[in-house]
Amino acid sequence: MPFVEDPACLSKSRLKSDLVAHNVELPPAGSKKEAYVALHLRHVDQTNAADFSSDDDQEHNVAGGDPEGAKELDPSALTDKDLKALLFKYGVKAGPILASTRAVYEKKLRKLLQSAGEGESNEADNAVLYSDSDEEDVSEKDEEKELEGEQEKKSEALELNQQQCNEDPVKDILKDLLPDTKTSPTGIYATPRRPIKGAAQQPIQYAYPDTPVSPTTLERQEVARRLAPVYVQVLVFFAVMCILFFIFVNVENTNSVVSLLERQNQRPDGEEGIPALDETQDAACGEL
Amino acid sequence: MSSTSQKHKEFVAEPMGEKPVMALAGIGEVLGGKLEEKGFDKAYVVLGQFLVLKKDEELFRDWLKDTCGANAKQQRDCYGCLKEWCDAFL
Repeated sequence: MPFVEDPACLSKSRLKSDLVAHNVELPPAGSKKEAYVALHLRHVDQTNAADFSSDDDQEHNVAGGDPEGAKELDPSALTDKDLKALLFKYGVKAGPILASTRAVYEKKLRKLLQSAGEGESNEADNAVLYSDSDEEDVSEKDEEKELEGEQEKKSEALELNQQQCNEDPVKDILKDLLPDTKTSPTGIYATPRRPIKGAAQQPIQYAYPDTPVSPTTLERQEVARRLAPVYVQVLVFFAVMCILFFIFVNVENTNSVVSLLERQNQRPDGEEGIPALDETQDAACGEL
Repeated sequence: MSSTSQKHKEFVAEPMGEKPVMALAGIGEVLGGKLEEKGFDKAYVVLGQFLVLKKDEELFRDWLKDTCGANAKQQRDCYGCLKEWCDAFL
């Protein structure tokens, strides 16, 4: 209430409407203003007072209700900066918080606050898992341990079993090739077995399964799935070409064979023809 | 995944220029009218909102729902169309 009105200063019609608004029975039509004022004082102002008290109670409830609720800030009451900082705390890199984007980010934060209550411990674990510095520290420590272990091994070289004997030269070669493996952030070491293990166990982080793929690329992928791989295509192509080539060659060969056969057939005819001529010549000579 | 709509293909095929907001896939006359009421009269204004939300699907779809009451399919169409346009032209 901005200010308290004295019912006596109000007009009769205003008093009437106020009383109606507060479900108070109006006095008989002809009654004077004083009657209205009295009724107004009795009912309307009391209800106002009651409203005030109830407001106070509500405020008390809100303030002293559940401490968690008080701790979880209302996103709409935050400044842009705080909102952004809180979102960042929950792992959301918010863009510019503007009049047009603020509502969306508030909604997001509300969702995050809700889900945070359920899985706070998970988030802490994740933070440990995904923090780069920790991982590096761990890997560096591992490397130090390894180096120490290696030195010990070398000192006990006589007692080494065959497997370790196999390991050492490989290590040395790898170290010669890659002298800066100590500082590699991937945690791949110059040992023969570990990198394989690590590579097999660690999930490939470069694959993002959630990235939305446009429908056309999906179609393309489906088509690609149905197609045979490229090397098979090449092989089939060459096979077909070879078959065609052989057929071509064979056809030519058969042609030449046929022609040869024909020639052979012709030649005997010719040989036969010549003796026949000779015979005829002989016969002619005989006759002569 | 259903095949993309004609509207989507047309929108993604070329720079958006001064196309109205209704040229966006998933935005028909009703949603377009609501968006225009709120000042999003051109497709590039919606693109601006899309970019300011860092092309985040969830945030953009929430925004679209709050702004014009788009249903899930309309949200998805509109997001996909803007995303693909950005991949092609941005």
